[in-house]
Amino acid sequence: MPRGRDRTGSGRGQAPRHSEKRKPQAKSVLADSSEPHGRHLQPSDVRRLLAGIGQPEPGPFKPDPFQIEALAALEFEDVLVTAPTGSGKTWIAQEEIRRLLREGKRAWYTSPLKALTNSKYQEFSEEFGAEQVGILTGDRKENPDAPLIIGTTEIFRNQLFDSLRGGNEVRGDLVVLDEAHYLADEDRGHVWEEAIILTPPRIRLLLLSATIGNAEEFAAWISEVRGVHCGVVPGPKARPVPLRSAFLLPDKRLIPLLNESGKLNQEIAQMGERERERERDRDRDRGQRPWRGRRR
Amino acid sequence: MKIKMPEMPPATLVTALGFYNLLPAIVFMPTRRRCDQAASEAAFTRRDPNLERVEARREFMRDFVAEHPEVRGHRHWNTILRGGVASHHAGHIPAWKLVIEKLMSAGLLDTIFATATVAAGVDFPARTVVLTGADARTGSGWRMLTASELQQMTGRAGRRGKDNVGFVVAAPGLHQDPEAIAKLLKASPDPLVSQFRATYTTLLNLLDAYGSFAPIREIAEKSFAHRESAAAIAKLEAQRLESEKTIEQKLKAAGCELSPAVALGLERLVSARERLQQNQPQTRAELLRSWLDKVVQPGRVVGIGRSGRRLVLVTQRRNGQVIGMREDGRRASFPLERIGPVYAPVYQVKEETIEETFDEIRERGKSLIIPEPRLRDARCEESGSLEIIDRQIEAIVPASLDEEQRKICHESLWASLPDAESFERAVRQIEVLRTEVWEPFEQRARVLSEFGYLDFGAEQVSDRGRWLADLHVDRPLLIGEALEKGLFASLDKIRIAAVMAALASDEDRDYGELELDDAVVETLAQFEEIGFKVSTEEWKHGVEPAPELNFSAAATAARWVSGVEWATLVTETRAEEGDLFRMLSRTVEALLQVAGLAKVHPEAASTAAATAEILLRDPVR
Repeated sequence: MPRGRDRTGSGRGQAPRHSEKRKPQAKSVLADSSEPHGRHLQPSDVRRLLAGIGQPEPGPFKPDPFQIEALAALEFEDVLVTAPTGSGKTWIAQEEIRRLLREGKRAWYTSPLKALTNSKYQEFSEEFGAEQVGILTGDRKENPDAPLIIGTTEIFRNQLFDSLRGGNEVRGDLVVLDEAHYLADEDRGHVWEEAIILTPPRIRLLLLSATIGNAEEFAAWISEVRGVHCGVVPGPKARPVPLRSAFLLPDKRLIPLLNESGKLNQEIAQMGERERERERDRDRDRGQRPWRGRRR
Repeated sequence: MKIKMPEMPPATLVTALGFYNLLPAIVFMPTRRRCDQAASEAAFTRRDPNLERVEARREFMRDFVAEHPEVRGHRHWNTILRGGVASHHAGHIPAWKLVIEKLMSAGLLDTIFATATVAAGVDFPARTVVLTGADARTGSGWRMLTASELQQMTGRAGRRGKDNVGFVVAAPGLHQDPEAIAKLLKASPDPLVSQFRATYTTLLNLLDAYGSFAPIREIAEKSFAHRESAAAIAKLEAQRLESEKTIEQKLKAAGCELSPAVALGLERLVSARERLQQNQPQTRAELLRSWLDKVVQPGRVVGIGRSGRRLVLVTQRRNGQVIGMREDGRRASFPLERIGPVYAPVYQVKEETIEETFDEIRERGKSLIIPEPRLRDARCEESGSLEIIDRQIEAIVPASLDEEQRKICHESLWASLPDAESFERAVRQIEVLRTEVWEPFEQRARVLSEFGYLDFGAEQVSDRGRWLADLHVDRPLLIGEALEKGLFASLDKIRIAAVMAALASDEDRDYGELELDDAVVETLAQFEEIGFKVSTEEWKHGVEPAPELNFSAAATAARWVSGVEWATLVTETRAEEGDLFRMLSRTVEALLQVAGLAKVHPEAASTAAATAEILLRDPVR
């Protein structure tokens, strides 16, 4: 417990009251205790808010049902996976690529950002062996004949153009479009649409997207323009790690943002109400003295 | 429900989060500068007390520098080392962002102050995500966060395998709105909205592939954007067929043997007649107004009021108001309706000649007045046309039919007029919807045709257009024209880098204020000249204007080609490293595109390749 903390306050859980800003060295050591102190002094809603914080027991990796579902669906149709970042979309792509490479088939993995392309290149090289993976971006070209090509979506689209114009056929049995929601990007989104429309139907499409409001409509469109059914596999309804929301007050007290029935915490609502009253008072004052600020 | 609260000092915030065991955290801030400030301030006022961790960071960063020498001596080095906090945004070079991401996943950082860009792209989670407001900053001000943006942000809260729970914390801030955040947390994600558009590159590639416009039109109509229109078109198509069938049935039922096409012909004649009648001026005032609208133009003298004794030389017409000069030289503004006589001569609008102008009008007066139109004349003119249409309507049923058949047909044709109208309406709406998608392509095709990259009439890409199709840059036509005009062939490395940087950079961004030498300025001026020709042609065909050249990017790229150290470039330009990095890296990409044109533009291609190689040195890799 930080020394010097005033414990005679309201009895609610209180954050330390340091004036770190003025006297840096002296207080910072005290401030960094990572134990949540004075827990017994916290009201029950705050206790509930903070319950169970910490690190889970390590367990063996087990694929999530949605990952299995996506892999199964890929056997006979295109698939649109919509799930937030970090929920394991890449794992699906990786496993499907692993299977294809084992069968001597080829795949493309496209992403919108060069940074992502570079890190995926490294990741997949480590996973599948450097000789199996190539990279194509605007300023980088390595191992371009490898069975797995990592590249920007633009480069992939350009290859589609080339093959339509009588160049080499796009070789591949699978195309993964990572961050497929970039289709809505103002500047570059059209490239994604062109890629989807122009990819030959014989090539399987796997689209990985953040959660979007119209996944079904999007997939229906893909099915329509490509003539191959595109299934939607939504990520798990519950987040991989549950999320709780809180509000930090200026006096450093932490309170839940929502109450148990999911409504805005009464205390916060009252703060807003008081703020609104002050505004009304200010407006009324101005109304009563209209000459104010007009004449000098 | 905004609750304005002063923002917490960053160190206080970090300490408070630590107190509740909510670290590590990502704190979202509205601007890059605020991130940097918050990190430095937090590190200054709150040293990491865990000396082992400080040592672990030191070691980690030492190893990292061995692989990425460009982060050595970074100005935020000590912030990270001592404070265990960092700022992360697009203003930093990728290597620096990488070291922060790696430190974070190694558990060696307490807090990252970041702009929303962290939310998109690289995956690096924390236990807690802190929002200091419910607003997002855009180029043109503030707006509310969208549900998807907030979801991207909260997606960073809770590390798989490391956290049982993740947190999103609304912290005090001037733009804080807990109610809005609570609402957004529950909102369903935003729908994906298509941004499909026409580009020169797509058009040239597809035309070269298919050899005609029709398949390109088909592809454009397949776009996600057009999906709704496509559904609407299908519905209209059904409506069109339905109307045609109804007409057929009505004629048949009545015993008329004419085809539905005749009913459609009648509809066209009838609606033409209606339009003609509507356009006809019905009253004298209407007639007068439309006449004044035609004859009152800058340079003409008019009289005000019916008497028309006060004379005004018209200088301007603006939103129905007429602006002009009075005889005493003062300005006058009045509505069109107040004008009486209008004098025929058109004078120059010049102050020196104004006296002569009014003198002449006063002298020759009445003989110069343009006669006002008369309602009867106007009506007479139009009624001639009406008569012709009426005759055609009469003749729509062939004279060869017998009297009885003609009567039946006339009646049933008129009875099916509403169906014919609905048929025509559907056809027109289908045309509008289809034009909407295709028009931007057609406009671009016309522009390319003007410059000889394709033949619009023959629907063929020219040889020139074939290499332009391969040039994957933001503004292919401008670069293509510069190549065609031989401008690139004469450039040295510095100037070619400057020109490409001026094009590849963000239009409004400031990349420093380095001095441009005369040779570069001259080249940029020549380039602008070509750019002007291109955009004039684009403007003529309704293609939106391209952004302007960025001179500050040109100067910075020229300096980088000349071989200065990165640190020098950063100090001299005082621009943000991340911006410099992106601009130079995009310049390299554009140069490599030109370098690919070795067959058609060998000199330009080889200079571009050599220049790209020079630009591509650490940290621009």
